[in-house]
Amino acid sequence: MRESWRRIRAVAANTFLEAVRQKVFAVLLIFGLVLLGGANYFAEFSFQEQFKFLKDLGYAAISLTGLLVGLLGAAQLIPAEIERRTILTALCRPLRRWEFVTGKYLGLVSLLSVMLGVMGAVFWAVLRWKETQLIGMEGAGEEVVRAIQAEARDPRLWQAFVLVAAKLFVVSGLAVFFSTLATSTTFVVAMTLMVYLIGHLQSVAREQWLESGEVAGWGLKIFLAAVALLVPDFNLYSLIDEIVAGNAVVWRSTLQVAGYSAAYVGVLLAAAAWLFEGRDL
Amino acid sequence: MKPAVFTRALRKEFKLGWGRGRVLALEGLDLEVQRGEVFGLLGPNGSGKSTAMKMILGLLRPTSGRAEVCGCPAGTLAARRQIGFLPENPYFPAFLSGGELVRYYGKLSGMGGRTLEARVQELLAMVRLGGEAGRRPLRTYSKGMLQRAGLAGALVSDPEIIMLDEPTAGVDPAGSREIRDLIRELKERGKTVIFSSHLLEQVEDVADRVIILHRGQKLREGRLEELLTQTGEWQVRAKGLGETQRRELNAWLIQHGAEVVQEGLPRERLEDYFLRSLPEQERR
Repeated sequence: MRESWRRIRAVAANTFLEAVRQKVFAVLLIFGLVLLGGANYFAEFSFQEQFKFLKDLGYAAISLTGLLVGLLGAAQLIPAEIERRTILTALCRPLRRWEFVTGKYLGLVSLLSVMLGVMGAVFWAVLRWKETQLIGMEGAGEEVVRAIQAEARDPRLWQAFVLVAAKLFVVSGLAVFFSTLATSTTFVVAMTLMVYLIGHLQSVAREQWLESGEVAGWGLKIFLAAVALLVPDFNLYSLIDEIVAGNAVVWRSTLQVAGYSAAYVGVLLAAAAWLFEGRDL
Repeated sequence: MKPAVFTRALRKEFKLGWGRGRVLALEGLDLEVQRGEVFGLLGPNGSGKSTAMKMILGLLRPTSGRAEVCGCPAGTLAARRQIGFLPENPYFPAFLSGGELVRYYGKLSGMGGRTLEARVQELLAMVRLGGEAGRRPLRTYSKGMLQRAGLAGALVSDPEIIMLDEPTAGVDPAGSREIRDLIRELKERGKTVIFSSHLLEQVEDVADRVIILHRGQKLREGRLEELLTQTGEWQVRAKGLGETQRRELNAWLIQHGAEVVQEGLPRERLEDYFLRSLPEQERR
C-alpha cells in the first residue's frame, strides 16, 4: 500500500511540475489575478453594493480561471501523454493503471489548490484593501465601520470558497474521465464542457417539466433518469450565489455539497480507471 | 529456472473501428529467451517487432496466446518489475532534466530515499550525463543524449531484463557503438537484453540469437553462428603474401578442385573507419 501511494505521489508530483513549467497556466493565473484586482475599480455605489459587486466578480474570476486551468490541465493529462507516447515509458514500469489515473487527478487537484490558494489570498487582500479604503472615505461612525468590516470579513466567504473548490474538482474529475477515453484534447474539452452545461441546465429543465404536468413515456423517463444519474447537478453549487447575495447558508449544506462532490469524483475516477485498464497503448 | 521471456501462440489483431475490419499485427509468435542472452528481434517496419515488445511489457493485450516474463504473466506488476524499457524514439517528458527523469522512473518503480538518489547519480555517471548535463532540460539534449538518459531510466530499478526498441536508430556512429558496448556490458553483468532493430550489421555485433519477423510472422530463429555461417565455403585471411605466392596459391586451390569464390584486399567496415578517423576522446 505504501509503495502504491509512493507511485501515485510520483505521478501527481510530475503532473503538477509539468503544469507549473508550462507558461499557459501562469498566464491563466495572471489573467485571474488581473480580473480580481480590476474588480476593485468598477463600482461607485453604496459600500454594500460595492462589496457585493466585488465578491460577485471575485468568485466569477476564480471559477472561470479554475475552469480553464482544470479543463486545459486535464486535457493535457492522458491524451497528450498518449500522443507524445511518454505514457509508454511510465506504464511499462510496475505502476497500475488506476494508480496512474489517480496520480494524474491528484496532480491536477494540487495545481488547482495552489491556484485557489493564490487567488484566494489576493481576493482576501483586495477585500481588506477595500475595507480600509471605504472606512477612510466614509469617515463614518462605529456602526458603519462595523458594517463594512462585517462585509469584508464575512466568514461565509470560506463556505463559498469550499463550494468553488468542490465544483472545480468535479469538473476536473469529469475531464480526467473523458481523457481516459479520448485520443485528442479537443474531445476532452468538448465533452467536459457539454456535461458541464447539461449539469447546469438539468435541474432547471426538470423543474420546468414537472411544473408543466406533462406525462412522459417510459423511454423519456429512462432517458431523463439516466441524465439525472450520470450528469452531476451543478445547480447545487448555486449556494455560492446565495452567499454572495448575503443570504445565510448553513455549513451543513456546504458540507453536504462537498460530500456529494467527493462521492461523484470517486465514482468518476473508478470508472476512468476501469475504462483505462482495458485500453491498448 | 524459467526463461526470461516466453510466448506461446501470441497473436494481436487491431480493430480499425467503424466496421472497417481488423488488421493482423502478430501471428502466433512462439518465443523463448533464456536468461543472460542478448536477443535480437529483426524485421522491416510493420513486421510486428514493437507489437511483440509491447505485449511482453503489458502495454497491449494479446488477442490470443500468452506471454510470460520470468514465469509471471506479462503485464502483471511482478512481470513489469523484471523489465527496464527503452523506447524507439525519445518518448520522455521534455520538461524534466536528465536527473529528474531517472528519479521519476525510479519512484514509479517504487524506489525512494537515499537508495534512489545514489542509484540516480551512479547511472548518470555511467551514461556520461553526470554534473551539469544531468541538470539540463531534456528538450536541450541531442538524440544520443536522450537515448543515454532513457537507458539510465530503464536501468534504474536494476531489472533482470532490458528491452530496447531500435536503440541505435537515428543515433550517430559513435553513439551507436556506445550503445552496443553498453549492451555487451549488460550481458557481462548477467542481464538479459532483448532489442529490436532493422540495422542488421549492428545486430550482428551484439546478438547471441535472433528472430526474423515479417508481416507479423516468424520467418527464422536461431543463434547467429548457425544462421550466418556458410558451411560449404572456407575463408582464410593472410598477411605477407607476394604476387607470386598469391598466384601459386590460386593454382594450388584450383588443382585441388576448389573454386575461388572471392579474393582480393579485405575492406574495413565504414563504421570502423569512421570511428578510427575521429579524435580519440570523441569515439566514446
